[in-house]
Amino acid sequence: MATEAFGLPFEVGTLSAWLVWILPFAAAMIIPGVGKLSKHATGYVAVAFALMSALSAATMIPVALEAHEMHHQIMWIEALGLKGGVLADPLSIIMSNVVGWISFLIMIYSTGYMKGDKDIARFWFWMMFFIGSMQLIVLSDNLLQVFFGWEGVGLASYALISFWYRDKKKDHVGVEGRTVLGMLDYYSPTHAGMKAFIMTKVGDVMMIAGMLLIFLFAGTFGFRELMGDTEWATAMAAQGLLVPAFVLLFGGAVGKSAQFPLNEWLLEAMTGPTAVSALIHAATMVKAGVFLVARIGPLVFALGAAGIMADQFFEVVAWVGAITALLLATQGMVNPEIKKVLAYSTGSQIGYMMMALGVAGLSHQYVDGYTAGFFHLISHAMFKASLFMAAGSLLHIVGSRFMTDMGGLRKQMKKTYAFMWAAGLGLMGAPFITTGFWSKDAIFAAVYESGNEWALPLYVIAVLTAVITTFYTTRMIGMVFFGKKSRHIEKMEEEGHHIHEASLSMWVPYGILAVLTIGIGLIGLSTEEGLHHVFVEYLEESFGIHTIHVAAEESILPEFLQGLNPVALGSSLVAFSTGIGLGYIFYIGRWVDPVKFINSNIFFYAIHKVILNRWYLNAIIYWCFVVAPLWLARGIFRYFEKTAIDYGMNDGVQKAVGWGAKVIQGTQTGVSQSYLFVFGAGLLFVVLILLI
Amino acid sequence: MLEITSTPLVLIAILGTVGVLLPIISISRKEQGSNSFYAIIAFAALIVSVAYVGYQFINDNVSPSALFSQDVVVDDAFGGFFAIAMLIVALFTTVGSFNYMRKQNSPAVYYSLILLATIGMVLVAYSTDLVMLFVAWELMSIPTYVLVGFMKKNPSSNEAALKYFLFGALSSAIIVYGISISYGLTGSTNIGEVIQGYSTLDPTLFPLALLSVGMFIAGFGFKMGLVPFHQWLPDTYEGAPSPITALLAAATKKAGFAATIRVVVLGMVVLNLDWTLALGVIAVMTMTIGNVAAIMQKNLSRMLAYSSIAHAGYILIGLAVAPHSSLGLQGSLYQIMNHAIMKGAAFIAIAGIVTTLAVTNIDKLKGLGRRMPITALGLVIALFALAGIPPLSGFWSKLMLFGSALDAGSVIWWAPWLAIAGVLNSALSLAYYGWITRKMYFEGETEKRVAEPKSIIAVMIFSTIFLVGFGVYPDPLIKFVEFATPVISLGLMP
Repeated sequence: MATEAFGLPFEVGTLSAWLVWILPFAAAMIIPGVGKLSKHATGYVAVAFALMSALSAATMIPVALEAHEMHHQIMWIEALGLKGGVLADPLSIIMSNVVGWISFLIMIYSTGYMKGDKDIARFWFWMMFFIGSMQLIVLSDNLLQVFFGWEGVGLASYALISFWYRDKKKDHVGVEGRTVLGMLDYYSPTHAGMKAFIMTKVGDVMMIAGMLLIFLFAGTFGFRELMGDTEWATAMAAQGLLVPAFVLLFGGAVGKSAQFPLNEWLLEAMTGPTAVSALIHAATMVKAGVFLVARIGPLVFALGAAGIMADQFFEVVAWVGAITALLLATQGMVNPEIKKVLAYSTGSQIGYMMMALGVAGLSHQYVDGYTAGFFHLISHAMFKASLFMAAGSLLHIVGSRFMTDMGGLRKQMKKTYAFMWAAGLGLMGAPFITTGFWSKDAIFAAVYESGNEWALPLYVIAVLTAVITTFYTTRMIGMVFFGKKSRHIEKMEEEGHHIHEASLSMWVPYGILAVLTIGIGLIGLSTEEGLHHVFVEYLEESFGIHTIHVAAEESILPEFLQGLNPVALGSSLVAFSTGIGLGYIFYIGRWVDPVKFINSNIFFYAIHKVILNRWYLNAIIYWCFVVAPLWLARGIFRYFEKTAIDYGMNDGVQKAVGWGAKVIQGTQTGVSQSYLFVFGAGLLFVVLILLI
Repeated sequence: MLEITSTPLVLIAILGTVGVLLPIISISRKEQGSNSFYAIIAFAALIVSVAYVGYQFINDNVSPSALFSQDVVVDDAFGGFFAIAMLIVALFTTVGSFNYMRKQNSPAVYYSLILLATIGMVLVAYSTDLVMLFVAWELMSIPTYVLVGFMKKNPSSNEAALKYFLFGALSSAIIVYGISISYGLTGSTNIGEVIQGYSTLDPTLFPLALLSVGMFIAGFGFKMGLVPFHQWLPDTYEGAPSPITALLAAATKKAGFAATIRVVVLGMVVLNLDWTLALGVIAVMTMTIGNVAAIMQKNLSRMLAYSSIAHAGYILIGLAVAPHSSLGLQGSLYQIMNHAIMKGAAFIAIAGIVTTLAVTNIDKLKGLGRRMPITALGLVIALFALAGIPPLSGFWSKLMLFGSALDAGSVIWWAPWLAIAGVLNSALSLAYYGWITRKMYFEGETEKRVAEPKSIIAVMIFSTIFLVGFGVYPDPLIKFVEFATPVISLGLMP
């Protein structure tokens, strides 16, 4: 990059790394002021700043392609020797572009989606705050600064999930009155916001503990500094603290990325405006966890290569990812609410990414899993943002969050129908034409080739999840667009509502992303190879992780697929066709009625019920961490506070003090003679103590 | 020999000249003259004095911490520290009297007495000779006897003055007795020489030396308001004019501490006697009795009188652990400076309330936050600072005091109990500080605002800025305290 141009004290390229996250915050600062003048203008300000931030991110792309990095530090807290800074390396540059551009599209979409909302200025404020915090996470060069952004997205997500804080019935999620194990499965926006905030906080506390543990030994939070001198790791490993510290850090990622067992908040987060769901689930918050693992993963692997083993960390990451992927995918099959299906799918897909990043550390070719996980992050960001925004349009038009209230919409909403198919195929991993296929296939290959003892079970889970994913995506599209019109829609049409396509500002953003899903998918293999190449150099330069170049064996595959693992490819194809076939039978062709099918057999019925009840995980969490503490608190209040504290301490102390004060007042007679006597006695007393 | 520009001499010159001139002016002017005229002259003299002390500090003309010299007074940082605290309180008193004395007789004498008493206090802090100390002590005490009884027609003011005088006379006698014993044992009244004499004392004479220490503790303890030498204090503080109460509580009390630190703590440390336990026991008694009695009071002056007894107890913690923890004296000095401002401001606020609303009963303070918002806010800040609530300045000094007690715990087993007693007492004290606050802010919603005296507002603003400013950024004050705090060692002799 141009050095010292314009006489600035830093490289111009570095400036854009700062701007990427400062601009959204600046927008958040001025939006309340702008809102005083004109509510309408806030949207333009937000979109303009989001665009500038994204453009700043784009200017850094050349650096990433050359696998260089820009690192700029300033003194932050002098007394503690803490430095703040930006670190723009290929990882963070690619991530900041994904975040920046998708956020920009979501902002455009929001101008249509949120049109006419009373509190629009508040919405834009928090959206910009959200984007700024996320970019701060991405571009920070140290853990502490990451943590600031981390808490920023937590705060913003709380504010946005509870955005419709008046708790109107239409803003709830879940089926009214439905209970699981006595726990209501029906949540208001404010409850949901609180739930998200508290559950992610559990992870945050673990993360800060891990951070401080590392700081205690290393004396720095900086990623580069941690890599520079690894004595701290030796010291920590000697005390058996290295793996716990990393796992604690990963705890933060588990909370933020809604991984098992902190996954339950994600579902209720659907109470926010759909634009928020898209932002949280596609581009930002939930990706923060994956990004953190991608940030520290190479460090852990490099330490391992240097003889300081921390393999357990990768095992934890891989297994948490695998469990989440399967657990949430199953629930996506049965839920009737479209946004919840997408939410389950998000958690599940992030599980894939975690699995890939974990497996990477367990194999010899770190870069394979690493690239696969990160590639999946990018492709998922595109198709999931598109799906969410499309789902938002459906909600907007139909006025219901239930897929059972939709049906047969393919005639009225042709564009949305087409884009949902395109993005949906990405999620299913439709062979050869979608980004989702290539990234998922890369994950399969990475898991299969890792050569680890866990490779086989992980591989089975991955493939099974892929089948389920394809099935529920087909189901979603089938329920919304195929079959007969639901009663709800018929009623709406009777009342004179016209079911129509969404407005321009809404369908264009998800259209773009849907087209990109297919477009990049067509050149998916070369994209993946490009990414692979960048990461090989990046890992080599920044972490000293060597990649052994293995000459690709001649395989039985046709020429354009050379270099792919045939087993992974085969599994991919089988999973796709099985899933879409089953989905077609039940929901598009409607040859078998799914309700009758489930009720036909006690076994299916039981499985369906367990899955629909979220594997009882949510209810158990509520019983253990909400109801039980409340009982305990009430018990303590009744049997301890009311008695020991109130009667014993409060009244007791008060009485004792009052009595003491009376006694002292009694001595204060006002008669000088008695005072003089006390004075004399006091003198004697002092001399006596001295003589002891 | 002392230079003619040394701080104590210059202060005597400034304050003495103005103090003597004021009554002469008033006689020569035939008519009584307005109160504010004399107040402004006294104010100017005090400002010049503070400025001179500050100037000496800035120019490094002051020897660090405490010294013992062959002269009767010494120009050291220890004395300067106390001088600044006392002069600020005297300024408070003068400003606070602007309104209070408006309709009273002979204002010239009143301000003259304040200035003379101020010389006395300042000299107590600077004295290095027991006789000089005693003379300064009397110079401080006698004007205050008169000031306490200044409201001639007010019986409670008279009673207050009489009790104060009676106990003052007794304590003076006890101090003289202590001086005479130490003179008899060592043949000198210079504190430095007394220490040397004590360090080579024949062990059979130790009980006599102890008796002199006891005499000093009791004599100075009267001014400090230590239990059991405290009983005059509530009666006097309640009956005296409120600005004078500020002077007594915030300034003359500190003179007692200055004398105790120089004579007992620094002087007698060589005696290798265990006087620390005595001070520790007195500290706990003082703070507990002060706080417990304060809780049931109905009168604001009287409540604060007990609270100032309690604070003497906190300060004494530092003195008691001084030989075993370097933080001890630092904490005490810090608390002394803070307490001067906090208590001074609180009593001046009462003076403002008395002149405007003519009430001191706590029940009548309902809605003060609406009637006199600035005074009420200043009072609340001062009270919270007294309670030691962060981030006010009072928090840091209490922290340092209790910290010193814990620090000394490795040497003397009972020291941590002082900290525990201090913390419990601070919690207890919140009960009555909080009660006043509640009365002022959460009751009497319908009250209307009345005009507040400007002079009181000025004091409130100053104290609030001081307490909040040094609470948020305590560094400079801590540095100053460290500079002024004497280091206990045997090598203090010149």
